[in-house]
Amino acid sequence: MWLFLSSEFLFFGALITNYLVYGNDPFPSVVPREIYDIPFTSVSSFVLLMSSLTMVLAHHSLSTKDQNGTRTWLLATAMLGSIFLGGQVFEFYEFITAHGMTMTTNAAASSFFMLTGFHGAHVAIGVTMLLSLFGMAKRQGGLSEEHGLNLELVGLYWHFVDIIWIVIFTLVYLLGAV
Amino acid sequence: MTATAERPTTTIFRRPDTTSGFWSWITTVDHKKIGIMYGYAAFIFFIIGGMEALMIRIQLAGPNGTFLTAPEYNALFSTHGITMIFLFVMPVSAAFMNYLLPLMIGARDVAFPRMNAVSWWIFFFGALFTYSVIFFGKVVAPLGVEGVAGNVDAADRSLLGGLPDGGWFLYQPNAGPNFTPGHAIDFAMLGLQLLGIASLISAVNFIVTVFNMRAKGMRLLRMPVFVWMTLVVAFLLLFSLPIIAVALFMGTFDRSFGTLFFEAAGGGDPVLWQHLFWLFGHPEVYILILPAMGIVSEVLPVFSRKPLFGYAAIVFAGGGIAFLGFGVWAHHMFSSAITPVAQAAFGLSTMTIAIPTGIKIFNWIGTMWGGRLRFKTPMLFSIGFVAMFVIGGLSGVTHSVVPSDWQQTDTYYIVAHFHYVLFGGAIFGLFSGLYYWFPKLTGRMMNEGLGKTHFWIQLIGFNLTFAPMHWLGLQGMVRRTWRYAPETHFGPWNLAVTIGAFTIALGILIFMFNWTYSKRRGAPSGLDPWDARTIEWTIPNPTPEYNYAEVPTVTGLDHFWHLKYTQDDEGRALRRDDADEIIADLDYRGSHPSSPVHLPSPSYFPILMAMGLPLIAYGIIFHRGLPGKALIVLGALITIGSLLGWGMEPLDPDPPAGDGGDQMELAGAHG
Amino acid sequence: MAEVHAITARNYVKIAVLLAVVTGVEVALFYLNESLDLNGWDAPLLIILSMLKFVVVIGWFMHLRYEKRLLSRFFAGGFILALSLYGIVVGSFLVGIVTR
Repeated sequence: MWLFLSSEFLFFGALITNYLVYGNDPFPSVVPREIYDIPFTSVSSFVLLMSSLTMVLAHHSLSTKDQNGTRTWLLATAMLGSIFLGGQVFEFYEFITAHGMTMTTNAAASSFFMLTGFHGAHVAIGVTMLLSLFGMAKRQGGLSEEHGLNLELVGLYWHFVDIIWIVIFTLVYLLGAV
Repeated sequence: MTATAERPTTTIFRRPDTTSGFWSWITTVDHKKIGIMYGYAAFIFFIIGGMEALMIRIQLAGPNGTFLTAPEYNALFSTHGITMIFLFVMPVSAAFMNYLLPLMIGARDVAFPRMNAVSWWIFFFGALFTYSVIFFGKVVAPLGVEGVAGNVDAADRSLLGGLPDGGWFLYQPNAGPNFTPGHAIDFAMLGLQLLGIASLISAVNFIVTVFNMRAKGMRLLRMPVFVWMTLVVAFLLLFSLPIIAVALFMGTFDRSFGTLFFEAAGGGDPVLWQHLFWLFGHPEVYILILPAMGIVSEVLPVFSRKPLFGYAAIVFAGGGIAFLGFGVWAHHMFSSAITPVAQAAFGLSTMTIAIPTGIKIFNWIGTMWGGRLRFKTPMLFSIGFVAMFVIGGLSGVTHSVVPSDWQQTDTYYIVAHFHYVLFGGAIFGLFSGLYYWFPKLTGRMMNEGLGKTHFWIQLIGFNLTFAPMHWLGLQGMVRRTWRYAPETHFGPWNLAVTIGAFTIALGILIFMFNWTYSKRRGAPSGLDPWDARTIEWTIPNPTPEYNYAEVPTVTGLDHFWHLKYTQDDEGRALRRDDADEIIADLDYRGSHPSSPVHLPSPSYFPILMAMGLPLIAYGIIFHRGLPGKALIVLGALITIGSLLGWGMEPLDPDPPAGDGGDQMELAGAHG
Repeated sequence: MAEVHAITARNYVKIAVLLAVVTGVEVALFYLNESLDLNGWDAPLLIILSMLKFVVVIGWFMHLRYEKRLLSRFFAGGFILALSLYGIVVGSFLVGIVTR
């Protein structure tokens, strides 16, 4: 998983590069940096950050053989992740309907939607994996040794998705916003 | 409920347990079977790509050729490139790496056998997906371009013309929605995406295998060079594939969903595509050549009866080439819009790659120097590699001089360069490996006479084909044009090139006959037909299913050689008196394991999961209609469902108490 | 799963609080940029703060601090490679005004 994640740096790096190259170009039509809602995005960043905490608590519970705790924290992580996703969907919805910016508006918009969209897709995959683990834990009355490894791997993935968002939040939102 | 639960068996379906017959191939997780499947599939694409090349050569044999129309020509050279690179050289290298990696480090399989299988199946279905374009691609004239000579109108749908025609590097916006409408490029982009996923999964698998599954005593600097090259290639894949993945997503989105990444009207920049593509593309060419270099590093010492000269230098040079290879990508863009500073910097960095490459060349020569050479077929191909690759490398160095490159770029000089390194280099190296390891695979020897005939015909044909391209290019013959005028006087040399191409084809036919004949009727090889040095030759031929009956303990580099040979007073190799007995003993013990060997169980899920992804790809291409959308959902469900099944299936059909499987016993880092 | 867990649940919560606080500082920086008259220092500061969060999550939540050195090298390798390559590409767009 560490190897895969290190390759993901190259993946997200390309998407971020894309945004950095195009994102600051002026256009007659609306560009992303003009319409960021920093308070809203700050809250959803906070939510994702806290989901990393719940994730690590899930892992900790499993290592102390606390199956109930594991299930609880797994579910909490999945829920926080879903809230983050909900926030993303809402943000996209606002951009598209209230500001008229879609991914076909201009290159900067394309880059923005591509970057945050792929990040969101990664979060969604993460939530799916978390819920699968939760489901497996519920069905079998707990996670076994091998599944414990799976939880650790999913945890690594989840934290990685979080740290990518840390970078995106700073580079794209905070440093970009007009 | 606080105890750790037992891993349950899933009741959906039992894990398969066949070891022979059709289903054993479908559900296999055995690296050897997977390697064999990669190899045969790759070879079929080699033939297809070769036929595409022959068609190109027929068209160009004389001036003003009429064998192909311009759109057909564009489609053929593009598809030839995509096929040869992604559907031949990469998978055949994967075949070697899959088959040999565990054998060379004393393991019974790779770290993640099911992931290995899924890589193969994703490749397989991805390749079929890419070529299925022939049913869906259409020749459509670029918008706004009317009546261009050789162009066809939208109603003309030629089978060949439906293939992707944007070149193998799919430069945008030329290969974008406005200039190349129709579905052909979509198939190329999504197909490459699928193949990339397959390779990425393999890369992770191989790296973990090398670090975690070496036999006792197999320290990193005792591993065969081929294993090192596999490791380096895996890292190159790991870090370069995500870049092309993003580029291909951007291109696909531009074509299918109307984004504006490369459309100038929306603020897009074509140069960005080039950067992203070549950031991948340059490491890619090292991915293509390093496995063959690894093969040559194995073959030369065996047939020179000398150790590899400067083992550590060759290993580090390989790493150096890979590392530096990430820093030269813009040398493919010297004539694009990059600044003089960038051109100078990349010209310089490109020149530095010649250093580790040169180290390897000198060390290979040093290996042969003073050795008692045996000119068997594998050796001939390896020597051929060294010679041809040097020529190709020299023309490459001329490209690193920026003003010189401005003249050479997009001419046949470049075509000559990359064919010398890729064909004269990689493919000659791969043939060397095929002849060398044929006994390992089949327990028989290929026919020497036919092998030598193949070599000489191929060498002559190859040089006849590609050498004239150097001066044709410098004389101004431009790349990728479907015909040339008689006044250019390019005709005679082009005819020679075409004759050379057909000569190569003859050589390949001889090879194919030799292979199929020798598989059945070749002379039995015995355990050690070549008097080899590395441990994959300490087990019976053909390789038993479990590889090693007893996992060896390795005492040094070229462990097998030292079992057989000692040194006389002057340092020359002296065969031990009991060498033959040692070999006979290895053969016997390797065929008769003292206790049952537990192997990773087969599984249905890799092939199932691999079927889901192309469905998503078809869905994206046809997403405007309901069937397309349904395909996306269906593909996603199959993929996710297979992954769930994969995660939940037991490791064994009938798990013995508390046993995690043999592979766990082999794990443990060494060195 | 056999490694010794030196980190207790409490410690994890403390780390999370630290992360939340840093995020708060970042947001505050963003809003107070003009009034604090940071003269362009806000950008590097924000980057440093986010790098801090980055390293903390990797080191402690992803447990990399306590894992084999090799894994850190893999991970760092990918990161440094990405930074270098993409730094050059973005740089070429900022410096080279050839196309625009």
